[in-house]
Amino acid sequence: MPKLTIDNIEIEVPAGTNVLEAAKQAGIWIPHFCYHPALGSVGACRLCAMKFIEGPVKGLQMSCMLPAQDGMVVSSTDPEALRMRQLVIEWLMINHPHDCPVCDAGGECLLQDYTVASGHGIRRYKGKKHTFLNQDLGPHVQHEMNRCIECYRCARYYQEFAGGDDLGVMGSATRVYFGRFKEGKLESPFSGNLLDICPTGVYTDKKARFRARYWDYEMAPSVCPWCSLGCNTIPAARYRELLKTMARRNDQVNGWFLCDRGRFGNSQVNDPERPRSPRLDSREVSWDVALDMLVGRLGELNQIHGEGCIALVGSTRMALEGATLLAQLAGLCGAGFLCYYTDQEEGDRNVTAVSRMTDDNTASMADVQASDCIAVLNCDLLDEGPMMALAVRQAWRKGARVFLVGGSSQEWTKTVSIEVSDVDTLDAVPFADFKRPVVICGTLRNNPAYIENAAKAGVKTAHLLSGPNACGAALLAKEHETTSLAEALASGKVKGVLAIEADIPAELLTGIPFVAAADWLPTDLVKRADIFLPTTAWVEMDGTFVNNEGRGQRFRRVMNPGLPIKGLDPAIHPPRIHSKTAPGSDLRPAWRVIAQLMERLGGDKVVEPLTGRWEKLRDIPPDGEGIRIL
Amino acid sequence: MKKALAGMSPDDVQQAVIDSGMRGRGGAGFPTGRKWSFVPRNLPGPRYLICNCDEMEPGTYKDRVLLEKNPYLLVEGMILTAYAIGVQHAFIFIRRGYETPAANLRRAITEAHEAGFLGKNILGSGISVELDLHLSAGRYICGEETALMNALEGRRANPRSKPPFPAIKGLWESPTVVNNVETLSNVPFIISHGPTRFKELAKLPEASGMKLFCISGHVNNTVCVELPLGMTLGEIIDGPCGGMLPGRKFKGCTPGGAATPYLTADHLNLPMDFDTVAAVGSRLGTGGIVVFDSDTCMVGATLNLTRFFAHESCGWCTPCREGLPYVREILTRIEAGRGVPEDIDILAEHAKYLNYAFCALAPGATGPIEALLRLFEDELREHITKKCCPFRR
Repeated sequence: MPKLTIDNIEIEVPAGTNVLEAAKQAGIWIPHFCYHPALGSVGACRLCAMKFIEGPVKGLQMSCMLPAQDGMVVSSTDPEALRMRQLVIEWLMINHPHDCPVCDAGGECLLQDYTVASGHGIRRYKGKKHTFLNQDLGPHVQHEMNRCIECYRCARYYQEFAGGDDLGVMGSATRVYFGRFKEGKLESPFSGNLLDICPTGVYTDKKARFRARYWDYEMAPSVCPWCSLGCNTIPAARYRELLKTMARRNDQVNGWFLCDRGRFGNSQVNDPERPRSPRLDSREVSWDVALDMLVGRLGELNQIHGEGCIALVGSTRMALEGATLLAQLAGLCGAGFLCYYTDQEEGDRNVTAVSRMTDDNTASMADVQASDCIAVLNCDLLDEGPMMALAVRQAWRKGARVFLVGGSSQEWTKTVSIEVSDVDTLDAVPFADFKRPVVICGTLRNNPAYIENAAKAGVKTAHLLSGPNACGAALLAKEHETTSLAEALASGKVKGVLAIEADIPAELLTGIPFVAAADWLPTDLVKRADIFLPTTAWVEMDGTFVNNEGRGQRFRRVMNPGLPIKGLDPAIHPPRIHSKTAPGSDLRPAWRVIAQLMERLGGDKVVEPLTGRWEKLRDIPPDGEGIRIL
Repeated sequence: MKKALAGMSPDDVQQAVIDSGMRGRGGAGFPTGRKWSFVPRNLPGPRYLICNCDEMEPGTYKDRVLLEKNPYLLVEGMILTAYAIGVQHAFIFIRRGYETPAANLRRAITEAHEAGFLGKNILGSGISVELDLHLSAGRYICGEETALMNALEGRRANPRSKPPFPAIKGLWESPTVVNNVETLSNVPFIISHGPTRFKELAKLPEASGMKLFCISGHVNNTVCVELPLGMTLGEIIDGPCGGMLPGRKFKGCTPGGAATPYLTADHLNLPMDFDTVAAVGSRLGTGGIVVFDSDTCMVGATLNLTRFFAHESCGWCTPCREGLPYVREILTRIEAGRGVPEDIDILAEHAKYLNYAFCALAPGATGPIEALLRLFEDELREHITKKCCPFRR
């Protein structure tokens, strides 16, 4: 571990750490544009200049390009270093348009920060600025090339990190242009990371454009609900509308990035069709009426058909809090069936996968990235867990071999531009030749026997499950020996169904006398339900998801629920009927709904939903790495 | 070549070049034999030799003349060099626009193949060398050796960071030696006549060998001639160049291409060798001497050179991409009589800080700017105070 002195602070850093990062660890922030921890150092922007006074290298040097070494004495405040950094900013501002007032990056722009920090405020250059034509990059990413400061991050991310080949750099000298090589939308399913990686406003979120400034946003650490990987996010909302989602760094899970499905899956939260009030037989009623009626109807069903005629259905997308309480509610209401899965096969596959998982044999995305041999078992990573494909690519870039077993889809490998070998069976993968092999096994196409077989390879395995809390649901399903809804219905005993955030095809429940649903999505079942209870989306509540590798991660409430102001009927704005609450804000988290039912059925008041084996997830910091609960 | 293959080991060839004291003729003047010696021995995998013929600097045209007259010298030099460093595949990276030299080289390579001097098992020695010619897509930055390798690999011609140096990790991540046309063309002489004879060709005891000088500008004969290193600037101008144009007076010159600081009349007695020119704050560079007479506006000349460099920046790093156009803008204004005194401070600042660019392009471009400030500051100030170019009539 090299020891060096930066601005009179002695610091010891791991070997291979560059001086810029070493300074960061000493609490000294050195401005930089082209360097990014995920992309590495290239020395293009020349902004991170520091003065090397003692040690193996001397003089004014770019701190990102030099690994920390013993005996280095470095100054970040040396006048020459300061002047160099000022000049770099002045050079970049020669051509940057001063359009901050109409730029969406304003307020979250590194160029703004560093320009202010450098002290460069008066323009000395008397020539003209260069201008470019922008490209239409598709529905999500807005292009504004005039703002470019040529840090090359976008091209390096897009081509090197994500394996895309349709966007890059063209031209030379001051005509360097970053964009697509031909017309059309961005092709990479990871294109949204351009928004995060651009240090200024060349790429901005098209949907969130002109809607808010950074300081206007309601933000909180959150977790993506759109697959089982549990990528960490920062959703940003304003005026009761979820405007955009940014990646949140978690080196164990998603690193610095997100897939486009996760980043741009905001519209459902803002959907004007979203059900926002409790309903009884299609009539809007108060929560108390709806809950009382529901308890009453459940009692009646038990009386008429006998105990055990009720099925409680949860899902892999319901947060862990609700999922655990659902089991307690089943006991209180005398439900005959507790179901975390609607589909029998989906349940079997998830439970089989999770049953084999231990802390030692489960691979995180960090393990996949660090692996030297990856066997992918019959699954399309872009479908079942897109960020896993990006993790595989990082391993491949470092030299890992990738094997596709048993006719796995090839398409995703082309999307992330990796070379793979096809093998027929798992046995044909030469795991013994490698130090850190992993298996990636999907649950969408593989039957339970096959999934079990994957575990027998004796190699760390990453299972891809069917929802953000699929692992939590599978652990509960195993604990309570539940059945699937399909199986329950087949028994013919089910007369009433209470579905909490469960995706049940409405036709499956044909002939069931009583159906109640609680959900935040406008599903078919919601429309058909006899009693409906509106719940909050994940961004409108605190909660926990257990991701595909058994990692419990907390997410915090980002925004208060309510009808987005944008889209409100102009006739009711400004409001004539005054209220202390926003329209459409009377939603409750699923676990709270279940807890209130439990109290009505004679249960104790629920203060904290996570108890027993889940208790340790209560207080984990939402901005940490989460904890494994296998 | 026959002498080397029959009686010299690769190490002997390398030692001969080291002993000859030859310094690279491409501009930087690095000792050629030492450069070769950096290639790791006994490392598995291929290694490459590249001839840099991306001669694109204003005022430098020696490689063109050399290849137009005698492409065989280069082919033979490359075979010898390949033999010395154990290369089986060598490349000539030639500038777009050098179609005639390229055609000559193609013919020379074909003839060498037919004569058994190239290809597998050369003259029964068991040594195999392939030689490929690559016509560049054409940018000045391709003359930077690492950018050249990127271009040859089919990537954008941006320079790579050093270390690792090409001798360790070059073309396709393999050890690579990049030498200039003239450097490689000197190898046959060193081998056939011995390093001592080569060394003695120079006029100074510290110098070594002959050097191609290509002279242009306000002289009677604009010629490319091979002269012993160590001849004075005045001797070159008055000898092969036949003196200044009638009625003109020598004011200054670039000693070695556009990226070298100017010399002035004070330097007419300066012996032209790497170290002697470096001692007066310039560089021998490529030997591309551009002579300016006393009617030449040095601001205009510097502006002209800066235009070239600003245009040819690859756009990779900020100082070069943005700083050079900044200098160009200031010089344009001063030349047009719209300069202000503060401009001189900005120029001075650029002459210093452009040296912290990623590769040698911008530091090279500061050569004329720095020399303009150092040697011709009064001319600069005259432009500003008179609000016009004093040389314009």
